[in-house]
Amino acid sequence: MSFYFAIVGTKDNPIYEAEFGTSKQGGDGVARFREEQRSMNQFIVHSSLDIVEEVQWATPTMYMKCVDKFNNLQVSCFLTAGNIKFLLLHDQKADDAIRQFFTDVYDLYTKTLMNPFYEVDMRITSGVFDGKVKQAAKKYL
Amino acid sequence: MQRGDSLNSPFVPFSPNPSIQQGTPTSTPPLKHTLSSSTSSNLRYSSSRKSIYDRHLNRSQRSELSKASFAFLFGEMVQYAQKRVNGIADLEKKLNLHGYSIGQRLLELLLWREGRSAKRETRILGILQFITTTVYRSIFNKPADGLEKSRDNEDEYMLIDNDPMVNSYISVPKEMSQLNCAAFVAGIIEAVLDGCLFPGRVTAHSVPTEQLPAKTVFLIKFDESVIERESVLG
Amino acid sequence: MSATKAARVGEDVWKTRIDKVNAELVTLTYGSIVAQLCRDFEGDYLEVNKQLEKMGYNIGLRLIEDFLAKTNMGKCANFRETAETIAKVGFKVFLNITPTVANWTTDNKQFSLIFEENPLADFVELPDDGRAQNELWYSNMLCGVLRGTLEMVQMQVDAHFASDILRGNEVTEMRVTLVRIIDDELPPGED
Repeated sequence: MSFYFAIVGTKDNPIYEAEFGTSKQGGDGVARFREEQRSMNQFIVHSSLDIVEEVQWATPTMYMKCVDKFNNLQVSCFLTAGNIKFLLLHDQKADDAIRQFFTDVYDLYTKTLMNPFYEVDMRITSGVFDGKVKQAAKKYL
Repeated sequence: MQRGDSLNSPFVPFSPNPSIQQGTPTSTPPLKHTLSSSTSSNLRYSSSRKSIYDRHLNRSQRSELSKASFAFLFGEMVQYAQKRVNGIADLEKKLNLHGYSIGQRLLELLLWREGRSAKRETRILGILQFITTTVYRSIFNKPADGLEKSRDNEDEYMLIDNDPMVNSYISVPKEMSQLNCAAFVAGIIEAVLDGCLFPGRVTAHSVPTEQLPAKTVFLIKFDESVIERESVLG
Repeated sequence: MSATKAARVGEDVWKTRIDKVNAELVTLTYGSIVAQLCRDFEGDYLEVNKQLEKMGYNIGLRLIEDFLAKTNMGKCANFRETAETIAKVGFKVFLNITPTVANWTTDNKQFSLIFEENPLADFVELPDDGRAQNELWYSNMLCGVLRGTLEMVQMQVDAHFASDILRGNEVTEMRVTLVRIIDDELPPGED
């Protein structure tokens, strides 16, 4: 099982992206997307933004579970208070695990934002942030 | 490895934060990142302190400092801004921007702290109540004194503060007597509204009465899109 | 006044005579100021340091009156007492922290303040641009505050940071040096 994760800013701009493979059931944590699949990932996630923008007014929750499907892939979404979107592309249902992953990332995002030198919509380039997101992925996904 | 840099992304490229006023140098201290160094940090960390990601977000939740510290800091912020602007309106805009930057951070922090039960506001009344209670309480230790809807204009609401802390502790020099430091608070409110996708303008107005000489009204004027959406949501 | 007595005074005043405010509001406000300076000076961190020091100095000139009014402290007998008063009363009453006084020189004219906590720097990480960590003293306003405050009580001091956790150092340490006592007959700055 491979995952593609993106954090999208308020202007539909990507501020962070990563790939993981599952660490469950003997998985080694390395993503295995076929090359063709790779370029599709961004498009799938991007197009799901339209759906997020609609759905977000119908529900007050931050964790929006599966918002879009494409073939065998699903896009799950977490929307922060400031309208920053965490989008996870995955091929199997794993609601609770994904929720926990998003919760950890929300903690990391908020810490990033509390830094006065970080502005909303800036790319997140911290190596520590990247490491911790991957740690969370390893833990839950 | 962050792949976004290497692929031709369909995403709109990063655009500057609206809180950075037009006309100011757009070069924020650059985060110089080439592909190769995008994940390796050049930052040094003390062995005792590690990074901001290791510090718990609730650590300073109940911490207090003296009001005087805030007053002195705020006063200096005003003094500094005053030297770089032309006139009161500009100065209030600068204060608004500072407030805006704080409001953006406060919004995420407050929602994060609500934990699993956190919910995003989707209705005008909801977001305004969030501001008058949760946001106000976290900064000023008390809720706002009132919330009213304009009788004449569908897109206007008023948040009332009988004695804004920023005005009570700041002594404004006589030549700046028209300055309303509550523009700072207006910025905080505006940031929360913007962040939650209720865009609008927030301005601070002094409306002194005999009993309440420092009474201030924050006029919130929502964008048309907000009013439209609100009526669609029914 | 001994260190313990100063600590007691600081605690007491903090508990009974100080109006308090949410610390995070101050942290965020200070952060916004520093970030704004970095934008205004286009990343010239040395200028930012100077500006922060100057702002602190302006604050210090006014802060002393507030401090004396709240604490009713009399004149310090010597520079060692001044140091303890700054650390245990001054910082306590304004920032609710008590940095440690250490590393005195043998002539008793220079000491360090070691900050275990620094509310101004909470949540902060310096820009990863290869320069900030070598050039910016994030909390430099505090140095100016000390300089301004002490000037108002007839002491000309130099205060500067020697190390900062934000720079990856092990501690945050400010070095304070008594340059000279400002004689009443001579205006400060003249010899």
